[in-house]
Amino acid sequence: MLVKLLNTLLMVVVALSITGVINRTRALLAGRKGIRFLQHIYNVNLLLRKGAVYSTTTTALFRIAPVVYLGATLLAFLFIPIADLEPLLSFHGDIVFVAYLLALSRVAIVLAAMDTGSSFEGMGAAREALYGALVEPALMMGMATLALFCGYSSFADIFATAQELNMNLTIVLLLVAYVFVVIMIIEAGRVPVDDPKTHLELTMIHEVMCLDYSGVDMALIHIAGWLKNAIFAIIAANAVAVAFSFHWWFAAPLAILATGIAIGVVESFRARNKLSRNATFILTIVAMSALVLLTGFLLIQNIEI
Amino acid sequence: MYFYTLLLAVCVIVAIFLTPLRHKVWVATGAVALSAIGAITLAIMAFANGPVTLAEFHSPLFGNETIVVDKLTSLFLVIISVASITTTIYSKGYVGGYFNRFSPAHISLHYSSLVVLVVSMMMVVMSSGGFSFLFWWELMTIASFLLILFEADRQDVRRAAINYLVMMHIGFIFLVIGFVLLYNVTGSANFSAIVDYFKMEAPLPLFVILFIGFGMKAGLFPMHVWLPEAHPAAPSHVSAIMSGVMIKTGVYGIMRLMQSIDQNTELLFDIGLIVLLSGIITGLWGVILAAMQNDIKRLLAYSSIENIGVILIGLGIAAVGHAAGSDLIGMCGLCGALLHTVNHSLFKTMLFLSAGNIYSRLHTTTMNQMGGLAKYMPVTAILMLMATMAICALPPFNGFVSELLIYIGMFNGVSDGHEVLYSVAGIIALSLIGGIAVLAFTKLYGVVFLGSPRSHHVAESSEVDNIRIGAMAIPAMFILFIGLFPQFAIRPITMVAEAISGADKAIAINHFAPTLEALSGVCWVLISIVLLLFALKHRLQSERTIAQGPTWGCGFTAPNIRMQYTGESFSEGLENIGKPLIKDKVDGRAVDKGEIFPSPHNYQVEHKDKMDSLFSLWWMKVMHRINEWVMRLRTGRVNNYITFALVFFIVVLILTIVGIL
Repeated sequence: MLVKLLNTLLMVVVALSITGVINRTRALLAGRKGIRFLQHIYNVNLLLRKGAVYSTTTTALFRIAPVVYLGATLLAFLFIPIADLEPLLSFHGDIVFVAYLLALSRVAIVLAAMDTGSSFEGMGAAREALYGALVEPALMMGMATLALFCGYSSFADIFATAQELNMNLTIVLLLVAYVFVVIMIIEAGRVPVDDPKTHLELTMIHEVMCLDYSGVDMALIHIAGWLKNAIFAIIAANAVAVAFSFHWWFAAPLAILATGIAIGVVESFRARNKLSRNATFILTIVAMSALVLLTGFLLIQNIEI
Repeated sequence: MYFYTLLLAVCVIVAIFLTPLRHKVWVATGAVALSAIGAITLAIMAFANGPVTLAEFHSPLFGNETIVVDKLTSLFLVIISVASITTTIYSKGYVGGYFNRFSPAHISLHYSSLVVLVVSMMMVVMSSGGFSFLFWWELMTIASFLLILFEADRQDVRRAAINYLVMMHIGFIFLVIGFVLLYNVTGSANFSAIVDYFKMEAPLPLFVILFIGFGMKAGLFPMHVWLPEAHPAAPSHVSAIMSGVMIKTGVYGIMRLMQSIDQNTELLFDIGLIVLLSGIITGLWGVILAAMQNDIKRLLAYSSIENIGVILIGLGIAAVGHAAGSDLIGMCGLCGALLHTVNHSLFKTMLFLSAGNIYSRLHTTTMNQMGGLAKYMPVTAILMLMATMAICALPPFNGFVSELLIYIGMFNGVSDGHEVLYSVAGIIALSLIGGIAVLAFTKLYGVVFLGSPRSHHVAESSEVDNIRIGAMAIPAMFILFIGLFPQFAIRPITMVAEAISGADKAIAINHFAPTLEALSGVCWVLISIVLLLFALKHRLQSERTIAQGPTWGCGFTAPNIRMQYTGESFSEGLENIGKPLIKDKVDGRAVDKGEIFPSPHNYQVEHKDKMDSLFSLWWMKVMHRINEWVMRLRTGRVNNYITFALVFFIVVLILTIVGIL
């Protein structure tokens, strides 16, 4: 039980600090003083104490959606272990459950965006739905690669098994980690797929869906975003940990630092994709995850190429 | 036995014709309810004590017949019963709107066909195969043809109905060929004789012939083209029963086929591969086309095709798993496929009935004329939301349970190293299908129920009567039950899977029971987390000002409702990717990019399936060409005709001399 609590606590720490690391990295690279490490938490705290304005076009679904969005993400979050620690919840086949919980959260926010009747939010909803659909196979194949190597289909079992791995498989696992980091970028709507800083532009995806939310609802959406980031960051870090037989004290800081710095660096040096290139970008990742899985399979079977 | 069944059906039909207009529905409901109660009783008996032999007799037409209700039959009897009771009750309100448009005889014919359809579907799954099976199968086709023809004064309805009839008979010919082959070799045309046939002759040809025959009914790619034509034409409750259960009789046939091939593992592997591959193609094709449709019922029809694909993926994985010697994968895939058959019949019935509610108020199924219906039809909106989430396989609803089982089977294949590549193909296909289904159904729900009304008909609409809502609550209850208590719902399913595959159900139960119990637990956790968060949000907001205002227009001061995202724009991104699958039918002209002050334009686009031409266009062209060639002989000159006659006689003469004639 203590282990489970430690795991959850560490997860929360990871979730809270990734955004801070991204912001600090960007500030450092741009030579700015930048905002404080915990600024995003203060912002959300402020939002939690605000009132709200609801559009007269919306129905009750609009008010329930942020709650479902956060609720589903939170439940998914509780299934994720940090390396060999035990997660709070676990059952056989939970990798599928987590993927569909994330789909549930996506459906909630997409429907809420359609509920406002705004063309901007409809645009964001359409893009989110499409990219979500395209990225799903990459997610499943990443998980399948892990299941192939570790022989289980629940997060807890996959990451808890001590692996006797050789160099080839280590490389494959590192690629899996890379795939998960890119999936995180896509799901979180960061550069190069989407730019969270371009408020009120026609070119964005995730931020535009939440235009009509304010106060508590916006805070819930932000929190859910952190949790979602943490889920993918930790799975990526876990893949690395499995590759080198590292333990949780290594995986937790790795999840924060590696993904945070990676995203910060990418955002500092790369421009956002043209939107029409996004589908290609995502399909490339899907193809890459398929390739990783195939390579892993061939290596496991000891088939010489 | 068959004679008495038919006699009884005729009595019911006479009763329907004799009763006053407003009470016809109750006669039909009574007949359907009685047969449903009988069917469910039989099913319960079969589940409790094993196969029930209902009757053994000699019929003059079909020879010796036995009617045995086994577990597979029972499962389908339950599905048929639930869906037919729901739709018959629902039809009261729906058909009521047509009383002043059609004559009483027309209404009677409709209800009679409904009763005949229900009875024939039940007989299809009960008859032990052979020519009596074909008889009931044909009766089912004719009854559903008459049901589609309900609004026979519309030309598109007549065309769709004829199209349906022709397509079904192409499939029927394949079935007849298959059963005749079977009869020739084994001396019996029953399903049980297939086992012997597979031992005596090359099994694959017979399998493929019957697979095509059943696949036509089930809507397998590329034989799915009748579905998106027939459903928009049929009344909604008919679409519900056709899509919910009638196409499942095709799946039933395929399951019966697979039941006959346990022992021969190599054959099972080949067949599993065929089924898996056609499942993947059918599922992907169906879901991509579904996401592009702008008509509610066409979208739902394509989604039925997709779900048949999912069922076949489950069946295929099961067969491949069994052939590879893993009963676990086999049971996972089979249970998933069976449960998905049940689930799909529930949520698809609900979805089509919701579409019926909308159609009866707005008299259209075009999505882009709707919007904001949730305010005017709140109960329909809630029921439809539930069905939408269930069909997107989102927890905590039933669709997720069946897809989870199929996924578990495939992930087991991956992690245990059994047939990894096929499992991976299945995982990729199923996850892509799941993702695009979410796109399709958020589009459907978002454009129809949310946002602002796009036409004044929406603002004039109101909620439908309570009987229709009550009818829709029946599948809703089952959806919630299977979603929240999957550990109980899976028990009969494992029994059926055991009967089909011959593998021990203990494997399945030992494997699923902890997972499904945990799943039920976490679904409740999900519900409580959401409720807790909602209470928390309520508390945080209770001391703050909650204001109302117009939707934020990003500084633009004159937004209007026509600027909302339409269904067409919602799926634009997918259309760019899926262009090769469709053929656009464009009416009018789009606004040109160079037009700075656009003039009024009329633009309507319909995304047609490229496969349509497979059944309509090419043989039309061939016929035209043959016709043209024959027409050249018709010169209108008597001397030419005499020459033709002379040539004919000479040919006959030569043939006689050579000795061919």
